[in-house]
Amino acid sequence: MNATIEVRELRKRYGPVLALDGMTFTAAAGQVTGFVGPNGAGKSTTMRILLGLDTAEAGSALIGGSRYARLRRPLSHAGALLDAGALQPSRTGRHHLLWLAHSQGLGVRRVDEVIALTGLGGAARRRAGGYSLGMRQRLGIAAALLGDPPVLLLDEPFNGLDPEGIVWMRGFLRGLAARGRAVLVSSHLMGELQDTADHLVVVGRGRVIADASTAGLLAAASGDQVTVRTAAPAAAMAVLARAGAAVTEAGPGTVTVAGLAAERITALLGAGGVTFAEVTARRATLEEAYLELTRDAAEFRADPAGAAGAWPAGERAAPPDPGSGPAGPGTGFPGGPAGAGSRAQEAGAPVTPEAGR
Amino acid sequence: MTAVTDRAPARPDRDGFGQLLHAEWTKFRTVRGWVIGMIVAALASILVGLLAAGSANIGCRPPGGPVRTGRACLPAIPVGPGGEAVTDSFYFVRQQLARHGSITVRISGLSGRYGGGGGPAGASAAGGGAAGMTPGLQPWSKAGIIIAASTRPGAAYAAMMATGRHGVRLQWDYTHDTAGLPGAVSAAAPRWLRLTRSGDTLTGYDSADGAHWTQVGTVTLPGLAGTVPAGLFAASPLHLDTTAFFGGSRGQSSGSEATAVFDHVVLRGGQPGARWTGGFIGGGQRAPYPLPAGGYRQAGDVLTVTGSGDIAPDVTGAGSTFPSTVIEDHLVGIFAGLIAVVVVAAMFMTAEYRRGLIRITLAASPRRGRVLAAKAVIVGGTAFAAGLVASIISVTIGTRLASAQGMYVLPVSLLTQIRVVAGTAALLAVAAVLALAIGALLRRTAAAVAVGIVVIVLPFILGVASVLPAGAAEWLLRLTPAAGFAIQQSLPAYAQVGAPYSPAGGYYPLAPWAGFAVLCGYAALALTLAIVLLRRRDA
Amino acid sequence: MRPASEVAGRSATQAPRQGAGEQGDEGSRRHLAPRRRAGNSLLLAPHAEWTKLRTVPGTGWLLAGIVAATVAVSVLALAATRCPAGVACPADTARLSLTGVQAGQAVVAVLAVLAVSSEYSTGMIRVTLAAMPRRAELLAAKAAVVTGLVLAAGTAAVAGCLLAGRLLLPGHGFTAARGFPLLSLGDGAVLRAFAGSVLYLGLIGLLSVGLSVLIRDPGAAIGTVLGLLYLAPIVAAVLGASPVWQHRVERYAPAMAGLVIQDTTGLHGLPVGPWGGLGVLAAWAGAALLAGGLALRWRDA
Repeated sequence: MNATIEVRELRKRYGPVLALDGMTFTAAAGQVTGFVGPNGAGKSTTMRILLGLDTAEAGSALIGGSRYARLRRPLSHAGALLDAGALQPSRTGRHHLLWLAHSQGLGVRRVDEVIALTGLGGAARRRAGGYSLGMRQRLGIAAALLGDPPVLLLDEPFNGLDPEGIVWMRGFLRGLAARGRAVLVSSHLMGELQDTADHLVVVGRGRVIADASTAGLLAAASGDQVTVRTAAPAAAMAVLARAGAAVTEAGPGTVTVAGLAAERITALLGAGGVTFAEVTARRATLEEAYLELTRDAAEFRADPAGAAGAWPAGERAAPPDPGSGPAGPGTGFPGGPAGAGSRAQEAGAPVTPEAGR
Repeated sequence: MTAVTDRAPARPDRDGFGQLLHAEWTKFRTVRGWVIGMIVAALASILVGLLAAGSANIGCRPPGGPVRTGRACLPAIPVGPGGEAVTDSFYFVRQQLARHGSITVRISGLSGRYGGGGGPAGASAAGGGAAGMTPGLQPWSKAGIIIAASTRPGAAYAAMMATGRHGVRLQWDYTHDTAGLPGAVSAAAPRWLRLTRSGDTLTGYDSADGAHWTQVGTVTLPGLAGTVPAGLFAASPLHLDTTAFFGGSRGQSSGSEATAVFDHVVLRGGQPGARWTGGFIGGGQRAPYPLPAGGYRQAGDVLTVTGSGDIAPDVTGAGSTFPSTVIEDHLVGIFAGLIAVVVVAAMFMTAEYRRGLIRITLAASPRRGRVLAAKAVIVGGTAFAAGLVASIISVTIGTRLASAQGMYVLPVSLLTQIRVVAGTAALLAVAAVLALAIGALLRRTAAAVAVGIVVIVLPFILGVASVLPAGAAEWLLRLTPAAGFAIQQSLPAYAQVGAPYSPAGGYYPLAPWAGFAVLCGYAALALTLAIVLLRRRDA
Repeated sequence: MRPASEVAGRSATQAPRQGAGEQGDEGSRRHLAPRRRAGNSLLLAPHAEWTKLRTVPGTGWLLAGIVAATVAVSVLALAATRCPAGVACPADTARLSLTGVQAGQAVVAVLAVLAVSSEYSTGMIRVTLAAMPRRAELLAAKAAVVTGLVLAAGTAAVAGCLLAGRLLLPGHGFTAARGFPLLSLGDGAVLRAFAGSVLYLGLIGLLSVGLSVLIRDPGAAIGTVLGLLYLAPIVAAVLGASPVWQHRVERYAPAMAGLVIQDTTGLHGLPVGPWGGLGVLAAWAGAALLAGGLALRWRDA
């Protein structure tokens, strides 16, 4: 079985809302494909169409080369987690998996295997209504893995996970891809995918905005700025300016340098006898890359007059200028990697769970 | 205190219940499905009501004429002094009576026969067709003396009479009935009856021997003319061959007649030298007893009077002599509305639990009992509004359609109409509150809706349209929430009319407001229980 | 922003991979690969639906409720009915004993509606359809499982009614000497009434499944089903003045026509024959399932 997801020219309209407007992308085997975009960009709709739940007006959505509805025992071809809350609260998690297993001709043994695999453990025998969101996500993942499918579609799997859960989920997704599965993971929080996805499909308003490797996207959005922390900023500026760089003082004891590589700066400063505490090459985060890409595509803007694309919907946006420093407190990346903790604190950004990793 | 305020504007309503009501109302009206549900309740009530009303087709054939249908077949029904439709058909042997006077008789025999000729509206004459008739009196066969305002059907009257199975009675103005001497009349046990007139006041007496008289009652008939007809009468209502052992069974009716033997007839205050004249009152082509039966024979001072018909209020159902409806017949659609209202009301509560909204609600107003009370007011109020609109439209259109089809709509007073129409709306409101409370108790939509419908509707079905015997049906309609439908009964069950007053015929065992109180009791009980549980349970 | 030093240190992000839940190599994967049971794939959906129903506690309670409601109402009806000496009692003792079916059908409706609409109210229908994308097969499986359970509970309920009738009727004046032989399944008409009542309940289950797939919302679905079942007898009761319409309602309303299967006396006076009446109900159930199936087929989940 061909472990791919192919989406071609999908169109879908819900009443007056054009949900999908020519959505096209492919998720290949052996990698985690991030599927990112603002709320309402069409991610969930695409996944529902892939699973044959909704019908597209035009285009095709294939899993392993065939339409989902034609698959026999479909959970062995594709596993999906759409909405972790979608279960009857009075049934235990184990029994939820059991009926799913029976629908695929699988036995109770496989159920216990996926329970062990996802770390549900003893909770599996409790009513699913009492699960925390994180437990429901694990149960949803267990359901997706039930048929040991080569293709996985996970809609916002990081939602509601605690820090430990997020770390677990990342590793889990990488592990799945490492064994040749095609994993499509949607998220509206880019940071979650930065360390997880090999490839990113960025969507907005029902269309693909960017379809590139994560590294490529980051490189494209990165400037070549370097920050130097030094007790002698004036001396450092003089040395670097002489070497042809554009140097500005970004703050007390901090100098921003453009036009020189970090290694060269270290060498120059060393040669010039200027002491420095830290030389940091700054690279854009996915958020910045994303905001650049979706500047026009974001469906909801908190501040239509401002230049900033609000992200995510409803939260106040900070100016998405890559040079303006770390993401501000309001940019809405609660789960995003804020980089080194010291840096994050410097700009007042929340210290995110991963900060200390 | 600093000058910095970050407070919400002061709220005028310190009590807070007004705000709670406002919040719940906003909650209600912003869910499109619930608003639609209430509109559906009103529309369904009207539509089902019209479906039930708009399908009758009354045909009639006046003697020698072509077959006609619809309004042309509406019977000419007299209306009594109280505004109610009455049957006023009897054989009347009379003279004129002055402002002051009396009439005294002795009845030494009362006999009758029935059957054979079919119903009163049938083509064959009950009076002429002696063949095939069975001897026997009807329970409310009646004969005696009467003083009437006029011979026009529906006129005011007072009468002393012997009856088939209910002893001596004083009856006046159709709906009033007072018992006198018990027991049947025979030659061995004759009955003396006297009716005296003094202006507008009539007094009835009875006696077993003509010497010792007992006053049965005094009646005032305002505006009685100077001279009025007075004399002897005989009438006998339909013979009902009811197989009414089981609620759903059907009755067969046939004509009957009664014959009374009078002697010792004394009329004081009459015109000197006047003679008795006999005649059938209330006959005619469009009258319920079109072909009058009866007559009289005078032999010496013995007068024998034979008559058919009745002097009594009209009822529906098996006791009716013509196709008729009552206003509540056009409110049957309210059951459809009831189901929709129960669905909306139960969901108004259970929806709080489905997604944990109840936690927000209770965080906003921690006094839980008041939350439920506010919900009850909102859902009850909207249900009342929907029910009122539906009832007014249903009754207005339904009665018109019925008349157009030749169905006579029995008139009731305006007050009764208001009670029936507004009561029906109130029924929906209380049902909604009951369903809301059930929703709060069960917290599951499907179960709450099913229980709400079943406890109200199923007892009604079992009581009104099932194989249950009448006794069991009546207990059902006394003890279950379905008792509330009594509020719709527009005509009382007259004891002096021998109709089978079963729930199936639209007669409830409890008085209108008593029945309604039973339903209210259930709703109050459920609501109290719900409030107690809501306070005790974790949200 | 991420310092280059940390971005460069990708290995750090890869660390959790080794700790991933699904321990890694091909060997263990083979070990973990699900083992499929052999068997007819047509039975997979019913098996899943059966598991689904039996693993929620509500199902057991509702099945018990079907039996309890039916038998309790029948016992009450029987207890309230007497045939005093010297009075002709035109009673249909079989039908009287089965009065409770009118209450039991409401519980059947709740069971069937919940089996469908709880999937919609929780969103689980998407999981279900992802696992069983053949929607007609899914609906058939669900209907079959629900109906099977209802038939089982209905058999117990109707057996209870029969027992109650046999125990209570003779003591209330319905004796063989007066033309009311002890209810016995050996009597063809009685057998038809009791077995037919079981089928009746099964068809109510099918009708409810079909309608709730169409309507989806549990409250609206149960309201519609119960309205369909309970309104007709009330409307028919006031239609006395228009026999044609009364006849139509009695003949074509699902519950009224279906319950004619319970009649054992006065059969020629009925608006529809016993099996014909059950056929009318079956037509309603079929139409509801068809409509539900088409809606399921064409609607986005």
